[in-house]
Amino acid sequence: MSRQASGLRAWALQRISAVYLGLYIIYFLGVLLICPPDTYEAWKAFVGDPWGSMAMLLFFSSLLLHAWVGVRDVLIDYVHPMMIRVTLLTVFGIGLIGSSFSIAKAIFLAGLQS
Amino acid sequence: MKFIVFRYNPDLDATPRMQEYDVEVTRGMMLRDALLEIKRQDESFSFRHSCGEGVCGSDGLNVNGTNLLGCITRVSDLKEPVKVRPLPGRPVIRDLVVDMSQFYQQYRAVEPYLIRRDPLPEQEILQSPEERDKLDGLYECIMCGCCSTSCPSFWWNPDKFHGPQALLQSWRFLADSRDQATDERLDALEGPYKLFRCHTIMNCVDVCPKHLNPTKAIGKIKELMLERAI
Repeated sequence: MSRQASGLRAWALQRISAVYLGLYIIYFLGVLLICPPDTYEAWKAFVGDPWGSMAMLLFFSSLLLHAWVGVRDVLIDYVHPMMIRVTLLTVFGIGLIGSSFSIAKAIFLAGLQS
Repeated sequence: MKFIVFRYNPDLDATPRMQEYDVEVTRGMMLRDALLEIKRQDESFSFRHSCGEGVCGSDGLNVNGTNLLGCITRVSDLKEPVKVRPLPGRPVIRDLVVDMSQFYQQYRAVEPYLIRRDPLPEQEILQSPEERDKLDGLYECIMCGCCSTSCPSFWWNPDKFHGPQALLQSWRFLADSRDQATDERLDALEGPYKLFRCHTIMNCVDVCPKHLNPTKAIGKIKELMLERAI
């Protein structure tokens, strides 16, 4: 295992996730413009659709990965004392993992109920 | 014309100060000429300079917030009052003279010379015109330090991030058809610091007095790294 945190891998992940985020945002804005779900039931059906939920899960996974690389970059740039940096990385890491569980739960529940 | 110049002599001053000077501007006067005039008025004032024609890279300065070379900047192009400071982020030795040791260490770290694995031939190693063209925009760097000292990533991590100047030179040798250490050079750049602290801010491109593009060179290194990784 490398002694260093990754450079190329993090950079590539940030770029690839950005491309997917961009494409999904265009698709989502298209949905909102052309046939916006106007009721709670319609939203549940939109999120619960198997392909829709896969695309949305991938969107939030990309978003969290992208956010992780971004936060890590900011902390590497500005926070130099090692203990403070590790603490902040842990706090953000736990926050992002918690967010991912919460998002996954919402999407799966919508899928089960639709 | 009014000049407000950064002054600091660590042997005498507790803190740095900005000092005003009036210089009579002559036709075609460059900033270096104005600083020499200030030096005539006040011999305690120090700054680095040498060739006077943008070749040696000695007189990199921060003027009205932008890094530039004093010898090729017309004073008539500057907004008055002209605020002259040392290159940002570097320890000040005296007045406008800064310690560039870390900048040179980062340059040294990219092994800025051709590395050959094959035995050296009896005659010169030939390049095609296309191979030679790849070095244009790379070899012209005069190491004035304007780019690296305008880079926020270099300000925060000057001991670990190579900075735009050293990375431009790294690509200069990676792009050279005669060099045979591509993998070693790329391996040496892996990790979050040496190369990947560049966030494409592009201050380096803005200030380079030779109009070089370190950001593009850094992008090429990342592309080559990705190409070799997959």
